[in-house]
Amino acid sequence: MLTVLYYVFSHLMKMQIENYQLFLLLGIIIWNFLSRATSIGMNSIVGKASLIKKVYFPRDIFVISSCITALLMSVFESIVFIIYMVYFKVSISMYILEAPIILICLLMLSIGLSLALAALNVLYRDVQFIWAVFLQAGYFATPIMYAVEIFPENLREIVLLNPVARVIVASRQTIIYSAPAQINDLMFMGIASIVFLFIGYIIFNKIEPRFAEEI
Amino acid sequence: MPVIEVEKLEKSFRIPHEKRTTLFEALTGVFKPESYEVFHALEDINFDVEEGEFFGIIGENGSGKSTLLKIIAGILYPSAGDVHIRKKVTPFLELGVGFQPDMTAVENIKTYGTIMGMSKHDIKSRTDDILEFAGLEKFRDAKLKNFSSGMQVRLAFSTAIQTDPEILLMDEVLAVGDMDFQQKCLDVLNNYRKEGVTIVFVSHDLGSVRRFCDRTLLLHKGHQVALGETGEVIDKYVYGEQDKNILETIDNASETTPAVQNEDKSAVNNSRWGDQKIEIVNVEFYDKFGNVSNRFNSFDAMTIRIFYHAHEKVLDPIFGIALYSEKGENLYGTNTELRNITIDSIEGKGHIDLKVESISMLTGRFLLTVAIHSRAHNPYDWHDKLYHFDVIQTSRDAGLFDVPCKWII
Repeated sequence: MLTVLYYVFSHLMKMQIENYQLFLLLGIIIWNFLSRATSIGMNSIVGKASLIKKVYFPRDIFVISSCITALLMSVFESIVFIIYMVYFKVSISMYILEAPIILICLLMLSIGLSLALAALNVLYRDVQFIWAVFLQAGYFATPIMYAVEIFPENLREIVLLNPVARVIVASRQTIIYSAPAQINDLMFMGIASIVFLFIGYIIFNKIEPRFAEEI
Repeated sequence: MPVIEVEKLEKSFRIPHEKRTTLFEALTGVFKPESYEVFHALEDINFDVEEGEFFGIIGENGSGKSTLLKIIAGILYPSAGDVHIRKKVTPFLELGVGFQPDMTAVENIKTYGTIMGMSKHDIKSRTDDILEFAGLEKFRDAKLKNFSSGMQVRLAFSTAIQTDPEILLMDEVLAVGDMDFQQKCLDVLNNYRKEGVTIVFVSHDLGSVRRFCDRTLLLHKGHQVALGETGEVIDKYVYGEQDKNILETIDNASETTPAVQNEDKSAVNNSRWGDQKIEIVNVEFYDKFGNVSNRFNSFDAMTIRIFYHAHEKVLDPIFGIALYSEKGENLYGTNTELRNITIDSIEGKGHIDLKVESISMLTGRFLLTVAIHSRAHNPYDWHDKLYHFDVIQTSRDAGLFDVPCKWII
């Protein structure tokens, strides 16, 4: 995946981006995490029907644990990224300390999304297919393969409404380019992730009493 | 202070005629109201369970027992009313929840133990006990898919009882394993009783309910019919639905009568014969409360009443009965002649009772032959195995019949 995208974009499309391999790989890792966490999380309730029906424990554990599973899988991908970092002799700076904050925002975001999706998926089984299409579209609408600067100013605003776009942009700044993340990016991410988590929880708790019956 | 309090509990399920399970269907159907029926699984249930009490729930299939248990366990939510639980609940609704066929016995103990709320340390220290209790020490590293179903159930039960429950909810789980294993389970339950564990117990096995439960709740079609001391409630369950049984007897009567009329002409039939000088009009069974019933607890009293109609004056008739098992083996027979009772003559309508002090059959359906014949064995009316009644087990002995006996060491 990385090789194909790298070849297409750097040679055929003539992308002028410093350390494009790393740029691309970081975007892919973050997007993969989000799509994996939400996909596993979404099916965590429906897929565990026998447990839901027979024993009781807090049902959000299913969703949170699947997000953590996705996180662990991403950790393994990050090892490849670190090897690349060393190979290309990219220096790191103080600003990398901002990366964990971004990561926490991302995790909250994906838990919030997963909670809402998992609950909705119990009621409407086609949510999973709709979400797959969303993820597909999001992959191209998010600055993963390209930099957000390719958009004209007014369009850029719209792209950056997507909190994942901010996550990717900010983490590139801090990890690859040794620059501080923009404060408005961080603010936006923080607020967005809290809002997502909050709304996700409300939807989940609203539908939760019906799980055992509807599943 | 009761550990479980259930107040005015109601649970109803919607049964939609057309289930919308996708967002697409929900969107396309926005303007079409959803049609559904409401099924009331439970209505107005009120009871308390005290700490350390063994509480039984009985009732026919579909009376809402399992729904009630699931609500107590927190799996289903009540539609109305309140359930207060003051201790940790270990639901035990189905054995082996979360068992993975590809993992070994020990790994499955870990998974199952975690689901049932055991700590890591407890699981580790008790794994050997669990395997020993299940009698599966040899198979600790065998994969679960290679286990027989009995072995799996034993493993699940053994794990579950090691969880130190405070409130244990059990749904029909005692009936696993061989006699030996069952005995072990009973010992564990008795230990729980000593330790003050509260148990809510759902079963169709009235024998074990009677043996264990201090108090029992009887449900019928989602309604609370009786609550109280186990023996009384079981009596109510066995004898309680008089209306229904009367209907049944009427049904039986109307079924047999037309058949009989046909037989009158042919005079000989598989199940009824005789010259009809005296006709057996009906046979009814009465329980110990004097109600008509078809179901009896073993060891209870029963009265068999034979209604006859003598069309002319008949001298010296003999009334007799014979009891058959469902397979048709003759178990017992007696008549007035054998008991040295002489009936001088009968005429017109009347009835005769046979009083059974204590039903000595243990369990099963029993067929009854009722006959009236002359001393010369000319049958007036002979109903061969036309009547039946059911006996419900109250002890744990095996077999058809009770033999009064005791062990002396």
